Amino acid sequence: MSRSATPKLAAYTGLAALGLLAALAARLPELAVVAAPFALVTVLGLILSRRPEIVVQVALDRERALEGEELEVEVRLEADVGTERVDVLLELPQDLPVLEGGNPRLLHLADGQRRELTFRVALGRWGGFRVGRVYLRTEDLFGVFRHETVVDRRLPVKVYPTEEAIRELLRPHETQVFAGNHVSRQKGEGIEFADLRRFASGDRVRHVNWRASARRGELWVNEYHAERNSDVVIVLDSFSEARRGGRSTLDPALRAAATLAARYLRQKDRVGFVTFGGMLNWLLPSTGTTQLYRIVDAMLDTQIVLSYAWKGVDVVPRRTLAPHALVLALTPLLDERAVGALLDLRGRGFDLVVIEVSPLSFLPAAQSDVEVLAQQLWRLQREAVRGRFERAGVPVAIWDEDESTLADALEQVSAYRRVARFARV
Amino acid sequence: MGCVFVALALLTRQTLLLAWGVAGVGAGYAVFLSLRSGTVDSRAPFVAAALFTAAELAFWSVEPVLGRSQAQVVVRRIGVLAAEGFAAALLGALLLVLATGARAGLALEAMGVVAAVATVGIVALLTVKPRS
Repeated sequence: MSRSATPKLAAYTGLAALGLLAALAARLPELAVVAAPFALVTVLGLILSRRPEIVVQVALDRERALEGEELEVEVRLEADVGTERVDVLLELPQDLPVLEGGNPRLLHLADGQRRELTFRVALGRWGGFRVGRVYLRTEDLFGVFRHETVVDRRLPVKVYPTEEAIRELLRPHETQVFAGNHVSRQKGEGIEFADLRRFASGDRVRHVNWRASARRGELWVNEYHAERNSDVVIVLDSFSEARRGGRSTLDPALRAAATLAARYLRQKDRVGFVTFGGMLNWLLPSTGTTQLYRIVDAMLDTQIVLSYAWKGVDVVPRRTLAPHALVLALTPLLDERAVGALLDLRGRGFDLVVIEVSPLSFLPAAQSDVEVLAQQLWRLQREAVRGRFERAGVPVAIWDEDESTLADALEQVSAYRRVARFARV
Repeated sequence: MGCVFVALALLTRQTLLLAWGVAGVGAGYAVFLSLRSGTVDSRAPFVAAALFTAAELAFWSVEPVLGRSQAQVVVRRIGVLAAEGFAAALLGALLLVLATGARAGLALEAMGVVAAVATVGIVALLTVKPRS
């Protein structure tokens, strides 16, 4: 613990000295009487000052939580050598405010005493945090000396983004070879009726369509669509973000990514994850709960890193972008590099869907005619970017968190894809 | 003048100004003592206790407020403050009895000078001593 004198010590000593000298100079014993308490406090403070010895332990009620939940942080203090007053400050990230009880807290700690402080913390934002650095500042009985120390007992807390409500997921155009929940165009084992054909040697009797067989006078069997899984790659644009206050376009994008990953994995699809921007991060497509944890943990490390390097899809490992995969891109469409890379993906034949996390709600209100004009031009530029995607056959769904839901955005894409399919026919 | 300094110090939360304010109030009392004639002021212990308690409260007020104090801490501090005020009055009375009872002489004056010099020495030491 580092020790320092408080301003009170210097002030009291000065006052005592001044009073005693004045008493001598003016031959007024009353002034010595007035100065005596200040002198006494100074002397007692110097004599009785002790270095506190406090053991600090920190415990969290859990290591993983969802955005919006509460976390209880317990700080245990055990004083071998106590102190009159101790300020206990628990260092917390900006996005994790204390709900009640205040931080820091001032308390008395006697010799050998144990105290437990509980801080209820609101988990306001997703991310990986380390909580548990405690600052202690003690003062003695007379308040003339101060001791300060920092105890680092940090423990990791993972705050996962909350899930968005989705009614229906987007169906990929192509399915893969493993069993899943998607009705494939290929015929095979399944429950969705596909066609009728003549009985052939080896066909199961249970597939015989007895009504059709009776009409035609020979055996006919039902054919079914196979049920297969699909590959889904979620691409998160981390080149740039629109930020205002504590909100950012990255937050809804991450929530959407987590939701989509969880939902696709639940229906046995293989899901991959690519963070494409200043930092490149990727996870090969895989299935199961483990993959969900891998993806969500990878998301927690996602941040916007400023970079001037021009990056194309070539930097993404080939195995990450599996052939015939449905590529779901979550982007604010603010960076030309991201736009170019996504169009390149489409050019390579990927089934691409762009969900635009709208940055419009992050715009400050236009104050002058020039600003109004500038915003109009910017909106037109964004329209032009969307036009480039539409010309390439890529649906772009606009998702403004304040005005619509992710389900609405997915519905926009589904409607586009239905129309696009008819147009192709 | 001292009260004005104290008020300013409380407003601006400056301890240096506060010390000057308390010194100013003490100086005011010294002027009052020098202007009056007669014996030793018997109210000096109460003045000392009042000035000391006021100074303690003022320094408490200008302390940086970081967080919420627990009730136990506040109660203890008020108790300590009351005890200090009482002790100041008691000490003042004792000193006053000693000062008026003892005969003035070279030895007593020498003791006073030593005490004053020692106090100034402590001030100098505290100013020079680096933080450990």
